Amino acid sequence: MKARSSLKQEFLEKWRKGLQIGRNDSTILERKDAIKLSADVAIAATRNAATRWRRALLCDVVSKNPTNKHVVEQILGHKLKNTAATTRLTTACRRRILRRGQNYRRRKRNKRSRALRKLVPGGEEMDGVLLLQETLDYIVSLRAQVDVMRRLAAIT
Amino acid sequence: MEPELEPPQLQFRSAEMGCAFDDFHGLISTPQVTGGSSFTALLELAPPQAVELLVTEDFPAKQPLPPPIFPTDIGLIHRASKFSVFASADNSMESNTILSVSNSIPVKQEDLDADSRRNSSSPAGSDQSLKSGKRKEREKKLKESNKKSKSKAANDDGEELPYVHVRARRGQATDSHSLAERARREKINARMKLLQELVPGCNKISGTAMVLDEIINHVQALQRQVEFLSMRLAAVSPGIDFDLDSLFTVNGSSNDNSYSGMLAPPICTEGQLDGARQLQLQQLWHCDELHQSVWARETDTSNFIAPANSLLSYDSTSANSGKPVAPRCTTS
Repeated sequence: MKARSSLKQEFLEKWRKGLQIGRNDSTILERKDAIKLSADVAIAATRNAATRWRRALLCDVVSKNPTNKHVVEQILGHKLKNTAATTRLTTACRRRILRRGQNYRRRKRNKRSRALRKLVPGGEEMDGVLLLQETLDYIVSLRAQVDVMRRLAAIT
Repeated sequence: MEPELEPPQLQFRSAEMGCAFDDFHGLISTPQVTGGSSFTALLELAPPQAVELLVTEDFPAKQPLPPPIFPTDIGLIHRASKFSVFASADNSMESNTILSVSNSIPVKQEDLDADSRRNSSSPAGSDQSLKSGKRKEREKKLKESNKKSKSKAANDDGEELPYVHVRARRGQATDSHSLAERARREKINARMKLLQELVPGCNKISGTAMVLDEIINHVQALQRQVEFLSMRLAAVSPGIDFDLDSLFTVNGSSNDNSYSGMLAPPICTEGQLDGARQLQLQQLWHCDELHQSVWARETDTSNFIAPANSLLSYDSTSANSGKPVAPRCTTS
């Protein structure tokens, strides 16, 4: 089934794995949360890339609701042990960010980069360069996710 | 349905969505060539993955097309292919073709060399060792022949780069701080350019602030779409586990043509083709009552998505997701 390991097919596979866990969801909201969770974890687990936003997303997911850990592990295929690594990165990046000086244009940019940081998972701990890089990857992955979900929704 | 929208829409969507319409094959082939220059250039960005992601699997013949199309974007390919975060070991084949393409075209980049080298060293791309080794060799040769290089391969860039003595351009300071600043700014500008190509409609905007705005809008819109689509999927069937299983096996097992064949009937709604609508109606007949609850929500959210996207191409994309709902409501 993974003859052409494209991003979308990989995402679909992982999403399906996550949904197979089978929770007892009665309300629409619960179901929607489960679907979204599986989709987000699946898209974060694609491509074997260890970008910051992926790790941050997975850590967020696990910390928000510890029961999600099963989903994450099932999709990932291995145990989550990234939390220590992320905290170390946090302090280093924070230092890097604080070292930046003040500039008028930079202040203008800061407002927007703050907004962008809120959107990209884990964006708070990235410096300017990394932020743009991660945003790029994140947009590509999001687009794939949306595309697959839309096709699926169109079928059903 | 919307012929006036189709040309700009197709330029972008044909490359992006990779939707598998038989009818679109003819329509897409020409616009793809023109639209591809900027957009499929970006496909090299995530060399193997984006090529498959953004160019549909149904057009395998098109994949060899992109490289010859943009000689001007070779710098983009260079830079983009250096993003080690995006490549993976599986697809060394495709990235090698990209490398060979970029090799054959003469390049004169100053910033791009430096940028790409910095790019390759800074991200944590462990898969990249072989490829980045090759690339760096080539880049070093190019760089040495390039006299006006103003890059500073600083120590903080990584263990692989040697310390390079640079000759500054006329009128610019050689202060180490300003050099570092300049290097950082170059990095940021390079990434910005790539983002501009990725986000639709950013090419015309000048000024990083506005581009950032558009990027933020785009990310927000995508995230909202994920929410909306997951709500829609949750509403579609109560027994979602079973249904999704069968659907996924249908989706996943199909390959290239069969994928298109399987999805063509329902997805034709996105293409707004009349004939396909009848097919869609037949298919949706049995799901009629399920859709009742979804319609109300969808009409709300289709308005909700459209204002979020101020860009035409994306408007038509999102409008399409709203559009199939309306005919469904009225006719069935």
